[in-house]
Amino acid sequence: MEWSLSKAEEQIPVQDVALDEHLKRNLVMTNLEDMLAWGRKNSIWPFNFGLSCCYVEMATSLTSRYDVARFGSEVIRGSPRQADMIVISGTCFLKMAPVVQRLYEQLLEPKWVISMGSCANSGGMYDIYSVVQGVDKFLPVDVYVPGCPPRPDAFLQGLMMLQDMVGKERRPLSWVVDDQTVIKPEKTSQRDLRNKERMKATELKEPNKV
Amino acid sequence: MSAVAVPRENIESKLQEQFPQLTYVSQSTMDGIPTLWINRSDLVDILKYLKPQYEMLFDLAGIDERMRSHRVGLPSSDFTISYHLISLANNKDVRLKVAVHMGDLNIPSVHRIYPNANWYEREAWDMFGVTFTGHPNLFRILLPPTWEGHALRKDHPARATEMPPFTLDDAKQDKEQEALRFRPEDWGMKRKNNKTEFMFLNLGPNHPSVHGVFRIVLQLDGELIVDAVPEIGYHHRGAEKMAERQSWHSYIPYTDRIDYLGGVMNNLPYVMALEKMGGIEVPDRAKVIRIMMAELFRISSHLVFYGTFSQDVGQLSPVFYMFSDRERLLRIVEAITGGRMHPAWFRIGGVAQDLPEGWDVMIKDFLDWMPARLDDYQKMSMQNSILKQRTQNIGVYTQSEAMDWGITGPGMRATGIDFDMRRDRPYGGYDQFDFEVPVYQNGDCYDRARVRVDEIRESLKIVEQCMKNMPAGPYKADHALTTPPAKERTMYDIETLIHHFVNVSWGPVIPAGECSMTVEATKGMNMYSITSDGGTSSYRTRIRTPSFPHLQQIPLISRGLMIADLIAIIASIDFVMADVDR
Repeated sequence: MEWSLSKAEEQIPVQDVALDEHLKRNLVMTNLEDMLAWGRKNSIWPFNFGLSCCYVEMATSLTSRYDVARFGSEVIRGSPRQADMIVISGTCFLKMAPVVQRLYEQLLEPKWVISMGSCANSGGMYDIYSVVQGVDKFLPVDVYVPGCPPRPDAFLQGLMMLQDMVGKERRPLSWVVDDQTVIKPEKTSQRDLRNKERMKATELKEPNKV
Repeated sequence: MSAVAVPRENIESKLQEQFPQLTYVSQSTMDGIPTLWINRSDLVDILKYLKPQYEMLFDLAGIDERMRSHRVGLPSSDFTISYHLISLANNKDVRLKVAVHMGDLNIPSVHRIYPNANWYEREAWDMFGVTFTGHPNLFRILLPPTWEGHALRKDHPARATEMPPFTLDDAKQDKEQEALRFRPEDWGMKRKNNKTEFMFLNLGPNHPSVHGVFRIVLQLDGELIVDAVPEIGYHHRGAEKMAERQSWHSYIPYTDRIDYLGGVMNNLPYVMALEKMGGIEVPDRAKVIRIMMAELFRISSHLVFYGTFSQDVGQLSPVFYMFSDRERLLRIVEAITGGRMHPAWFRIGGVAQDLPEGWDVMIKDFLDWMPARLDDYQKMSMQNSILKQRTQNIGVYTQSEAMDWGITGPGMRATGIDFDMRRDRPYGGYDQFDFEVPVYQNGDCYDRARVRVDEIRESLKIVEQCMKNMPAGPYKADHALTTPPAKERTMYDIETLIHHFVNVSWGPVIPAGECSMTVEATKGMNMYSITSDGGTSSYRTRIRTPSFPHLQQIPLISRGLMIADLIAIIASIDFVMADVDR
């Protein structure tokens, strides 16, 4: 599609636009599956759930400097039944694991899990008797966000990766249509994807200046 | 720290006068707090006698002594229970220790003398398996009810990877869920009285207004709270056990995560205790840098409180303003330390690096920005009539109740008790600063918030003084135990290389002994009690956090109120669960 920018005070020139350009601007051709995926992808509502430090950074991503509303995920839900996604933001404790499991079961399909922070990813710093060594020991995780805690920007990146996956995911249109398998896209490691680009950095900022 | 206002002889002679038959052993500790080993049979009488002079049971904790080698002159003991009493009115402390032996692991409960002993005793039972006779409900408090063993015993595994891998099949899920079920009978509660059948409501462990994984079970008559049972332990990260396998230096990041809104404030009592044990004198510049960073984190933590407090009583927008200010603050923290929430930036003997060029400009910008914002918030939140109605005269406790339940920090100063560690037992250079200690009288939710709001301004004052009077000089002490050691002295000969290598790889060896250090943290008085056995890691690290006793008190102040009031009370306490469960 062709775009043109104009300043507010300028008269917008009337363009003589061809019919097919009109159609392009006003019609979207898609199939039902793609449209559903597009809708799902852009309104992932998170469950209001947090375990520890990471939750503070997740909550920070809701506030003005980061503003998760830009990605359609500001509608945090107090009930698991209204939410699409659970962010395991923090350490998963042995005493808490059955509770997390119950909450996950209460989320309605389709549902996704982001594991936020080192503790949820693998236990992190806490290889200790009371901590589950990674929430993926009992929940299927879609996106892992590293960090202790990850910055809100990192959480947002994780969310965008999840959106990307959700957009590509193929699900049955209904419980009576199609076969019921869910096809999920392959998970990719950002380390593998970005390693080349990262290795190009030759100058690192010195810490003795703000 | 000027911990000892009263000389050792004084308390000993007083006790001898009162109990002529008393036998005891006096222990000298590096913090100078009078420490007496007494017999188990004398414990209750002595505590009853001391209660009028020492209003608060500041801490009660156990230690497994069975593997300890440096304990010359101490009575034999397998497990020792230590009672740390404090008098804020007279600004003095005393520590009593009682030895118990395997095969006879019991000790009288003192919850009738100091009510807050209740949870501390449950914790000591949970962690060490010492029975407190006469305790009304000696259940596990931190670990799940299905747990086997006592985690802080030296023969209990520390790592999750030393234990069988975690699985959660349906049968286990059902069993664990069933174990978490609340049974009113266990707590001496009736399911109904002659008028009504009570409802039992689970609030948490996941609920938007309980600030983390905290569960409180309510006994309700309609919407009136008849009684409440707080349930903790959903956030127990084993921080105390962790200290026993980390080097002195590598434990610093774990302290950050105790009160996770307090950042480097948590490092402070830990490194100061070690410095006292090692005899390290910290240079002035490092002291002022530490105070500045700690106060920045106090402001940050109080801003989170301010926002969530307003939100919990129904104002949705203030939290967005306060978090944006917090972001400004964290930008400074990031420029100076490189981290946001958990910088782990203090070091044994100083701080990790010098202040970066341009730090003062950032601080000045913030100091110019913040006061006007606080004026706005005053109008937006504190003067809002709905907020006032929701919080004034709600959740009231008196001065003596605050002392009985171990309440410290802003929650205590809201009852009119004028005590602040920074002013009354100045540590780490606070005696050089000019600031007020805000005190209010009503002891309700609103006054607890007012104290914190005023404290933000006082902290700004302290930060300003730090900025204007930052001393020149080194940011790390010139001492053999300073970690990491100075790199410049490394490459001269094999000796200097070895010393550097050993101090970096094994870390420093802190001399054997015991030392505790208390600071005025964001949420109240936070104490690290460290026992070194002369090794490269701690023998026992006890963390006395302010939030733990604050939660224990909730039933007392919420009985007879509505559920909505309980939400205001919880918001006004300002806790984080990591600071409760550790």
